[in-house]
Amino acid sequence: MWKKMMGVAAALLLSTHLAVGDEATKGKLSIWLGYPETLDAFKLGQAEFKKKYPNVEVEILTFELREFEAKLAVSVPAGSGPDILTLHDFIFPRYYEGGNLADMPADLAAAVNDPKIIDPVFKDILTRDGKPWGMPWWSGRNGLFYNIDDLKAAGLDGPPKTYEEVWQYAEKLTQKNASGELTRAGISLRLTGPSGGTQKFGYFYYQLAGEQMFEPGKKPGTVRVTIAQHIDAAARVLQDHVEHLHGPKKSDDWALKHDAQGFASGAASMFMRESWVIPFVKKNGPAINFGVVPVPRGTAWGAYNNLEILSVNKDSKLQAAAWDFIRILQDQAILNNVLEGSGWVPIRKDRDYGAVLAKEPRFAQMTTPPPGLTLYIEAANVAYEEMTTRVGEVIQAAFRDASLAGNPAGCKAVMMKAHETAVKILKDNGIYSD
Amino acid sequence: MAISDNEPVRGLLSSRVAAARDAMRRDHLLWIVLALGPVFALFCIIRVYPILETIRLSFYRYHPTQRSRPFIGFDNYWRLLEDEAFQTALINTLQFCAMAVAVTLTLAFAVAVLLRSIERVAPIYELLLYVPVVTPWVPASVIWKWIFDPVHGILNYGLSFFGASKIAWLQDEHVIIYAIVLVSVWKMLGYFVVVYGVGLRNIPDDLMEAAELDGATPWQRLIHVVLPMMKPIILFTVIIATIIFFNVFAPVYVLTASAQGAPAYDFKVVIGEIYQNAFVFYRMGYAGAQSVVLLLFVLTLVAVQFYLFRDRRGV
Repeated sequence: MWKKMMGVAAALLLSTHLAVGDEATKGKLSIWLGYPETLDAFKLGQAEFKKKYPNVEVEILTFELREFEAKLAVSVPAGSGPDILTLHDFIFPRYYEGGNLADMPADLAAAVNDPKIIDPVFKDILTRDGKPWGMPWWSGRNGLFYNIDDLKAAGLDGPPKTYEEVWQYAEKLTQKNASGELTRAGISLRLTGPSGGTQKFGYFYYQLAGEQMFEPGKKPGTVRVTIAQHIDAAARVLQDHVEHLHGPKKSDDWALKHDAQGFASGAASMFMRESWVIPFVKKNGPAINFGVVPVPRGTAWGAYNNLEILSVNKDSKLQAAAWDFIRILQDQAILNNVLEGSGWVPIRKDRDYGAVLAKEPRFAQMTTPPPGLTLYIEAANVAYEEMTTRVGEVIQAAFRDASLAGNPAGCKAVMMKAHETAVKILKDNGIYSD
Repeated sequence: MAISDNEPVRGLLSSRVAAARDAMRRDHLLWIVLALGPVFALFCIIRVYPILETIRLSFYRYHPTQRSRPFIGFDNYWRLLEDEAFQTALINTLQFCAMAVAVTLTLAFAVAVLLRSIERVAPIYELLLYVPVVTPWVPASVIWKWIFDPVHGILNYGLSFFGASKIAWLQDEHVIIYAIVLVSVWKMLGYFVVVYGVGLRNIPDDLMEAAELDGATPWQRLIHVVLPMMKPIILFTVIIATIIFFNVFAPVYVLTASAQGAPAYDFKVVIGEIYQNAFVFYRMGYAGAQSVVLLLFVLTLVAVQFYLFRDRRGV
């Protein structure tokens, strides 16, 4: 009798186990992307994944970045959303704070914690309670893009090497028509789009201040505002912008095409952006003969990095499979595809990108930072968008104010307003750190 | 045989239907409830509930990705008083709305009056003017963004023949409002031309003939006959136009979106601020408070318009 009962119990246990196991290898694995340019890499991963999980259907949806963020924000906290969360560094805290992230398997956590594999600057941002909550995958590293032919024509034998030279070169590279209107910007500055504008203004600020406008605070998720501390540097960067938008040094104008499109169409000779510009200009401005170098140094020398993090939704029923997919995405061929196809720089240091670099040597500026260049990453926090948008609005309104040219006191007042704007938002969100 | 067998049943059925019909007639309220109930229920779910929920949210600090959603009373409303961006948006929206309503309705009325003088071909013009109305805002705005391009846009190219210098339509902080008004007038003109056309056709001919016989000039007929007769229609169009233009969002969003290579001045409007707070900053409670203020503002404007256009004959 006992034997029979034990047999039935064992059979029940086995069937339950099988059912659970079956559940983990059957179903639909959902992935949403806010950066569709990495879709090809995910498709490569999907093909590999299907070999191990033939019964798991993989659904990859791509969205415009803002739409993607909004969809995540409403679905994930409600217990739905995709299984794999492709989180940008600045939205990562929302999902950590919300308790929406699944625990990371030990092998992947060990890889994140190994400085030979992942640079600690990328590890820190996603580490909470002593453990990482996602796999850093790629980074957008900034640099100065310059038009080689424009520089030659202006008698300049190479890209600017210092903060001061950037502005001097910009003046020399600017072209005007007979009526004095700019036909080509010496440097395409970020004049609109406040959130991104704060970031690009920060590229200059870091070189003079030696740190970002918003640095991580004492506690994870908190932010320290540094503008008041480096007010002279902040005011100088603003003044340099204003003086190159108005008056005799004018090197850029709102009416010109800007950003990568402006550079690819020949409307600008220099601009600062991240590595994705390399494939973009090759595709959209094939006639543009361009080079890229790290952002020229001031008293400090740093390169901005944004970060894409791969995490798993805590409410996913396919957590193990999702982590396996993330493991597959670490394959050399897939990382090569990310670099070559999208221009985003894979994070892993234990991979060899030589095959891609042989085809496109300009990526080397991004994959292999020169000695002395500090890599920095923004202070991820739940109020990131609001803070950078509102600070950017203050700065970009000042760009239009010609009276700030040659007016350090006025520039200081503007930057103090930017400082106070940031502090107020951070305090309101309970994440201000002094 | 079978037919005659069923006759009593049919008779019973028809008498029951008749009884039910009589009962329905008697109980008119029941009929109204059955007829309008589902529609009213849908209206409540789709319209009334979101408004009530927005009002409720406005008293909370509600961020969809945060667990804590505390009740904060009127804090969101107090915050509005210090919010420079919202105040700028409100002023911009008022200016835009005043300009767009005035230009659209004046132009629409003028066109509608002119079309009455070419009654036979008027429908063709009305149809042509109505095409932008049925064109979705987003593609229409994208096309206008190209037209407004300061370097390659057709508008500046056209103006250059008249010796005009390059205008940064969407980049100049003082000019952008006119660009958005232009797009909005182009988009909505046809709708109001049709509405005014219907109103003008309904003015009794004998009234116009009588005025003409009395020696009234066309201008006098317009001022003393047409306008008074059109007053209810004008009230309707002013209210509708105010609501439409106060809620402007899509053209501003598309025209000022500073995507790759196409920078534009960050022209703030109220709905844009609400969108940004709700779906970019995820401050749902605060966006709720802004929505409530917008609702009150538009209701007040409509009430003022009703007051100004009220029929004073009885006073």
